[in-house]
Amino acid sequence: MSYTPTLPAKDFTLYGETFSSRFLLGTALYASPQLMRDSIVQSRAEIVTLGLRRQNPNDRSGDAIWDFIKESGCRLLPNTAGCKSVKEAVTLAEMSREIFDTEWIKLEVVGDDYNLQPDPFGLVEASEILIKKGFKVLPYCTDDLILCKRLLDVGCQVLMPWGAPIGTGQGLLNRYNLRTLRERIKDVPMIIDAGLGAPSQATEAMEMGFDGILLNTAVAKAHNPPLMAEAFADAIDAGRKAYYAGLMQKRQTASPSTPTIGQPFWHQQ
Amino acid sequence: MTHSIPNNIAIAGAGLLGRLLAWQLLQANCKVTLFEAGSFTPDTPQTNRAAAFTAAGMIAPLSEAVVSDEGVYRMGQFALQQWPQWLSKLQMQTAPLFFQHGSLVIAHPQDISELDQFERELQFVIPQCKTYRRVNQQQIQELEPDLNPNFSQGLFLAEEGHVHNRELLRVLLSEISLLGAKLREFTPVEVAANKIITEASEEEFDLVIDCRGMGARDQHPQLRGVRGETLHVETKEIQLQRPVRLMHPRYQLYIVPKLNNRFIIGATQIESEDRSPVTLQSSLELSSALYTLSPAFAEARIIEMDVNLRPAYMDNLPKVIIQDGLITANGLFRHGYLLAPAMVENVLAHIFQKEEKVFNELLNC
Repeated sequence: MSYTPTLPAKDFTLYGETFSSRFLLGTALYASPQLMRDSIVQSRAEIVTLGLRRQNPNDRSGDAIWDFIKESGCRLLPNTAGCKSVKEAVTLAEMSREIFDTEWIKLEVVGDDYNLQPDPFGLVEASEILIKKGFKVLPYCTDDLILCKRLLDVGCQVLMPWGAPIGTGQGLLNRYNLRTLRERIKDVPMIIDAGLGAPSQATEAMEMGFDGILLNTAVAKAHNPPLMAEAFADAIDAGRKAYYAGLMQKRQTASPSTPTIGQPFWHQQ
Repeated sequence: MTHSIPNNIAIAGAGLLGRLLAWQLLQANCKVTLFEAGSFTPDTPQTNRAAAFTAAGMIAPLSEAVVSDEGVYRMGQFALQQWPQWLSKLQMQTAPLFFQHGSLVIAHPQDISELDQFERELQFVIPQCKTYRRVNQQQIQELEPDLNPNFSQGLFLAEEGHVHNRELLRVLLSEISLLGAKLREFTPVEVAANKIITEASEEEFDLVIDCRGMGARDQHPQLRGVRGETLHVETKEIQLQRPVRLMHPRYQLYIVPKLNNRFIIGATQIESEDRSPVTLQSSLELSSALYTLSPAFAEARIIEMDVNLRPAYMDNLPKVIIQDGLITANGLFRHGYLLAPAMVENVLAHIFQKEEKVFNELLNC
C-alpha cells in the first residue's frame, strides 16, 4: 500500500491563486486593532476580509485602520457587508476595487436586517453584474443547491455557503444540504462562511470535504482571540487531514480492533 | 537624575486631561499656560472640539472592562474614588456633577444571549466580582420605573457612576482661570521638549505636556481616530437615575441622564476618521434603541446630534510617554472620564518625582 504521509502543499486554489492556509479571517469586532492583528498572526490566515460600508470610503477616512490591516501581509478580501440592494453592493464593490486595488470581492447582499441572511435573488444579480465588470466574486450564500448552481452559471468560481446565520455560532445547521452541495458540486472550491462558533464545527465542515472556513465572531469575541484563532487553525488542519486521509465508515456494531481468539468464550458474544 | 521640579509649565490641549492637569498643577503653585487650537467654550457640534465634549461621561469600570481588560477596571475603580474627592474641591460648582447610582444593563427578550455573553465576559475579566447582580422584571421596574416593562432580565452594576461632563469642563475652566492660568485659545501648536511652537513664535517652558488628543495625530503616527456619533434629546416624560446600556447583537448603546431633562444616547464606534455629520443609519440605530427603552421617548425633542473622533492607539489603551522636557498623555479612546484620573495622577507623579508612580505599569510603556 502506498500513501503520502502528509497533505499536498498549496493545493487550495481560488481564482488561480494558491494558498497554504484554508482559514480566512474577518477583521471586525475585536476589542482593539492590535488584538485583531495578533489574531491574524495566530490564525496563520493568508486572506482576511474587511468591510468599508460605514467608513465613508469616498473620503478614505478608514485609511489608518486599513493600512494597519495591510501590514499583516495578508491578501485583502473586501466585503459588501451591510449592503441591502444590488446597486449598493455593486457600488461598494467598485469603490473597494479602487481603494484596495483588488478585483476580489466577498459579495454580501443582505436580505434580512435582523439575522443578515443573504438575499439569494439579489446575490445572483449582483454577481452577474460584477463578474461582467471583471470582478472575482466570492459570494456569501445560503446552502441551497439551486442558488449555488445559479451562482456558478453567472461565473462565480468559488462558493461560500453559510453554516448558520452570521454571528450565531450555531455550527452546521443543515448537514443534509451541505452534504448535497459537496456531492453535487465537486470541482468548485467551497468555503463555509459564517455561523461557526467552535473549532470542532470547523473540523466537521472540513471532514465533510469543504475547502476552507471563513469566520470572524467566534475568534473576535473569545476571551483570548489570538488563542482561539490558533485553535481554529489547528481544527481546520485536522479536518482537512482527516478528509484527505479518508474517514472510516460508521458501523452499527462494535468490531474489536484486536482479534478475540485468545479470550475465554464466555466473554465473546 | 537631578532634575528640579518644573515650575513654568505649558499644556497643549484643553480637553479633559488638559483642564484637569492645569487645575492640579495650579493648586501645586505651578505657573500654567494652557493652549487650545479651538475655543475653550465650543458649543457647535461638528467642529474639532475635544472628545470630552461629545462623551457621555460614564464612569463604568465593569462595563468597560468587558470590552477591554482588567487594567482598565483597576484604573476605573480609582476614578470612582477620585472624582468625588476632586469635585468636592471645585469652588465654582453649583450643582452636583458626580453620581454613583450604578448602571443597568438590559436586553430585549430575543437578545437575552447578549446579556449572558456580557456576564460571562465580566466574570472572565473580573473573576471575583461581587458588585453586580442579576435583576428581574420587577427589580428593573423598581430601579427605573419609566423603562419599558417588557425588559425581563438585566444586570445591575452597583458601583458604576456618571458625571455631567460638559458642566464639569465649564467649571474646570472657571476654576483654572480663577487660579491664574494663562489661557490661550484659538492657538494651534506644535510641541517639542521644553518648547511650544505657535504660528507666530516659539516659547520656552520648564516642561511641556501634550494632551491634544486627535490634535496630535500628525505628530503621532500610531494614533488614530475612531468615529463616534451621539444623539441628545430632551423630555420631561421620563426620568432615569442612572445610565442604561442596551445589549444588541450588532450594537451596544447606552443612554445617560443629563441635567435639565436631557439624555445622551450613544455611541456608534466606527473605524473611520470621518468627522462628517451623523449618518441616517446611525441616527436610526440610536433613536430606535432609545424608543424601545421607553415609547415615551417618541415625543422627546432632538436637541443635538454630535460626531467626534476618539483618539486611540492600536491597542485602544492610553499611554503616558515621559521624555526630557516633554510629557505626552494621549489615547484615552472611549474611556476619557473613566481613565483620566489615573492618567492625571501618573503624570503628576512623574512631574513631582514621587517614589510611587501610580499605574505606571499600565500607562507607561
